[in-house]
Amino acid sequence: MIRIERRLEQPRWLFVAVPVLSIVIAFLFATVVLLATHHPPLHTFRRLFDAAFLDNGALTETFVSATPLMFTGLAAAVAFRMNLFNIGGEGQLYTGAIAGATVALLLAGAPSPLVIAAMILAGAAGGALLAAIPGILRAFFSTNEIITSLMLNYVVALFLDYLIFDSHSYLRDTSGFEASVFPQGKTLPDEATWPSWTIHGVVVPLGAVVAVVLACALWGLYSRTRFGFEVKVIGDSARAGRYAGMRTRRKILAVMCLSGAIAGLGGASQDGDFRHQLDPRGLTQANYGYAGIVVAALARYNPFAVVLIAFLLGGLQNAGFTLQGADFPNGLVGVLQGLILFCALGGELFVRYRVRFDRRQTTTAESAA
Amino acid sequence: MVHQHFRLVSPFTVAENVVLGDHRDIGRSFLLHTRAIERRVAELAARYGLAVDPRARIWQLSLGEQQRVEILKALYQDARVLILDEPTAVLTPQEADALFGTIRAMADDGRTVIFISHKLHEVKAVADRVTILRRGRSVATVPAADATPRSLAALMVGREIELGRRNGKHAVGEVCLQLDGVGADGDRGVAAVRDVSLTVRAGEIVAVAGVAGNGQRELAETIAGMRAPTHGTIRVRGRQLDGGDPREAIRAGIAYVPEDRLGTGVAPGLSVASNVVLKSYRRPPASRGPFLMLRAIRELAQSLMQRYDVRTSGPDVPARHLSGGNLQKVVLAREFSGDPIVLVAASPTRGLDVAGIEVVHSYLRGAAESGVGVVLLSEDLDEIRALADRIAVMFEGEVVGERDAQTATVEELGLLMAGGEEAG
Amino acid sequence: MNNSLLVVVLASGIAYGTPLLYAALGELLAERSGVLNLGVEGMMLVGAVMGFWAVQRIHAVTWLALLGAIVVAALASAVLAAVYAFLVVTLRANQIVSGLALTIFAGVAGLSSYLGNDLELAKSPARHQFQEVFPKSWQDLPVVGPILFGQSVLVYASWVCVVLVALYLTRTRFGLNVRAVGESPASADAMGINVTRYRYVHTLAGGAFAGVAGATFSLSITPQWVAGLTQGAGWIAIALVIFSFWRPTLCLVGAYFFGAFTALPFALQGHGVTVAPELFQSLPYVMTVLALVLVSSRAARLRFGAPAALGTPYVREER
Repeated sequence: MIRIERRLEQPRWLFVAVPVLSIVIAFLFATVVLLATHHPPLHTFRRLFDAAFLDNGALTETFVSATPLMFTGLAAAVAFRMNLFNIGGEGQLYTGAIAGATVALLLAGAPSPLVIAAMILAGAAGGALLAAIPGILRAFFSTNEIITSLMLNYVVALFLDYLIFDSHSYLRDTSGFEASVFPQGKTLPDEATWPSWTIHGVVVPLGAVVAVVLACALWGLYSRTRFGFEVKVIGDSARAGRYAGMRTRRKILAVMCLSGAIAGLGGASQDGDFRHQLDPRGLTQANYGYAGIVVAALARYNPFAVVLIAFLLGGLQNAGFTLQGADFPNGLVGVLQGLILFCALGGELFVRYRVRFDRRQTTTAESAA
Repeated sequence: MVHQHFRLVSPFTVAENVVLGDHRDIGRSFLLHTRAIERRVAELAARYGLAVDPRARIWQLSLGEQQRVEILKALYQDARVLILDEPTAVLTPQEADALFGTIRAMADDGRTVIFISHKLHEVKAVADRVTILRRGRSVATVPAADATPRSLAALMVGREIELGRRNGKHAVGEVCLQLDGVGADGDRGVAAVRDVSLTVRAGEIVAVAGVAGNGQRELAETIAGMRAPTHGTIRVRGRQLDGGDPREAIRAGIAYVPEDRLGTGVAPGLSVASNVVLKSYRRPPASRGPFLMLRAIRELAQSLMQRYDVRTSGPDVPARHLSGGNLQKVVLAREFSGDPIVLVAASPTRGLDVAGIEVVHSYLRGAAESGVGVVLLSEDLDEIRALADRIAVMFEGEVVGERDAQTATVEELGLLMAGGEEAG
Repeated sequence: MNNSLLVVVLASGIAYGTPLLYAALGELLAERSGVLNLGVEGMMLVGAVMGFWAVQRIHAVTWLALLGAIVVAALASAVLAAVYAFLVVTLRANQIVSGLALTIFAGVAGLSSYLGNDLELAKSPARHQFQEVFPKSWQDLPVVGPILFGQSVLVYASWVCVVLVALYLTRTRFGLNVRAVGESPASADAMGINVTRYRYVHTLAGGAFAGVAGATFSLSITPQWVAGLTQGAGWIAIALVIFSFWRPTLCLVGAYFFGAFTALPFALQGHGVTVAPELFQSLPYVMTVLALVLVSSRAARLRFGAPAALGTPYVREER
């Protein structure tokens, strides 16, 4: 019989062994899936790895995929740590992108640093405002934030479509012949292009740098400040938080808005670093928000781990895009991500509990006999 | 087995609970024949004198009635051996006597009853033989007739312990807590506290006695600010509190040792050190400005743990791994270190062994001696009579009587607890 | 009269609401046993894709092919549900993150699209589709014609399912047991009920229903395979369980309510109303949020709460 007991201490090596083992097992499962659908596993994995990191320009492309994941991953981690399941990172990224693009267009002609700073602020504000909705509903009306934040994703996605495809909004490109036939967003002015640094041929965008700085700041916030202490307590036991005199409702709202702001920053980065226009199709198909949740869960909500895992998963994502085509399985990336996450979640059991195999028969629970 | 914490499904009826999971008799059929089941349960209840309505839903019942359902479950399954775990915690003294009668009837019926209790006089009242356990081992088995509370206690702890009462009056100071006509709603939206007026002076221990479920928990929460009062006033040293705000209560000098140790008094997943500064983290030395001073916190925790003899491997251990006694020491240590004016302790010794109870009692006495006004809410009359200066009895949300602890008898307290009229 | 906006919306509302109903019934069963499965969207998509695949492959008379497709869809989703059950019941993983993982794994960017692409299912419409059952003359009856008699077998079967699930929960011994498991697993365990087995069975049942729901999309509503064709219906179904207060009959009402909102934009277009479709398309989602707020108010929660043990793993040693 299998007995499960809670561990008193959690040995350090488990924290590394379990995630690594999960990835290995996930790849094993993926191998099974590939074999079942007549794709050569080793070859596929090799191609994935090359496309992610080794090929010419791969690392640059990986940064492109990883940067938004860093933002959405941090956003999810910030909230999930307090048992606030903000699934709305996707929508909050969109509103950040909308806000960022609007500000960039409005400030055309102003000095570049000003425009970029404004975009960053606007992106954060846009995300925070959207996140405030499920935040308020949860804090003051006890409404489950999972579903509310999720529903808003769909609403904002539709709004995004509306802005570019169905209206003649400020953001839509109405000049040129193609504009009315192939709607797209206005190209952002050059001042709104975010700088990047080229190191050994790899282009590192401003967004990535901002994300890393943000990760450090968040780590400090959560481990060294009163705010972080309160988040820890409330996340562990909301009642104990209230008992201690903490303002739990305000904290819930604050954390949701912080989470939304970070995701919104990711949206602004999309405008400024990569797309240079408001791009609904691209944004909605990328699913950065949901992938960010996977990143956060794998990183066990540690900000530095989020950056690292975002980079790895970004590589995976990048490989998926690059290899998309006739002979490469589409959707494999999602399958792999899901598998890795499953295995990591299952592995949690071994971190938290000690599993023992007993000789004895289980006594069924005390039935009065 | 009748557990200390009932294994009943709250939204279900009594009959449904009794018949749950049954594989024989009427339970065997695929479809539920509700009426037949209810009839069977009613018959059984009548036979053993356990008055309870088979159609009532569990959340509507008092704890005493719920216990009867648990016993009914055991009887329905024709248990030959019954195990009762701390059954009298939820009963008035008179109800407890009735329970002893039922137990003796079941024994006469040929069944075997194992009665787990830490209340030594009860053990004497109902048992034929007493087995004492210490640290998971059986230490001795004695015939009940030969045992005295003192000898049993000595066996339980391995040494002589002081079971005495609080003797002698000592200096009692100004009024530190004043409740006037306080009312509060319970979790279900119905008034749990109706009209409570209480005065507590510095240095005295005022006990609020009553059977669990009569509003004591809600009263404690209201004083501590965790529940908003619907009417009435709460005053600490003359200054009125708005109520409903734990932070205001903390600032006013109210310390609170909650009934729910692990989930409310302590954040179970956090370290002992974090829990020690749970209320004091906003001020130095635990923090400076917005930043936490981690080393200072650790030192604070270590010194408090030493002073209050909290036995654990270190301040970083997650709180949930502490024993009940150690956990309560942490809570008490934290509350006292805040220099409180009023200390509200709700069922502080629940679930503790005799040694733990002894420690808590000595801390409560110590607090009173250093001038704190102590409000002790407890279901254990022995404890109340040992500690209190004055005893207020709560029944259905109101204080139905106040007695001086030296002169009150168990009978009259029991009567008040059951809602009986005050004599005279 | 049968072409009036109201009738059209009601009739298509029932049609669009049917997958919601199936998925909600399944999730309701799982949640009654205490398991919160957020992977409904993913399971629906897998059911949709596998059901579609089956219908293209089965060479038989229409009704047999469709039946086979439904069975395949239900089985495929049940397999996924089994994986999920293993994770959260046996391995005691966090149910929320695990459910999300399931949706990501199986959803629009995952397994269902992988299979859809690999098996080249988007190329052609379904070989067999669910059609209306009753004769044309019945469908032409005023008002009730299109609403009641213009539906497919799936709709009528869903009504039967609602009745069966309701009876199961309230009138059978197993229904009582599963409700006990969801409210107080410790009590159920103490009475000799196998908590693990009940949770597995009901989670798998939830998966099977989700699979049928997905197949409703790919074989009846849009008889085609398009990646992500459920468009969040799985999430609405989860919300639906909450504001039906875990009662099957209210699920039916709610499902059709949301179905009507989903049908509204198309119906309006048919009537020549040209307003930006996105506005109406966002209505189901907005209504979900509003309804959820109403239902989560303290008063509502006090009277009609969730199964008390919903979402928490049961560890016997940790009672």
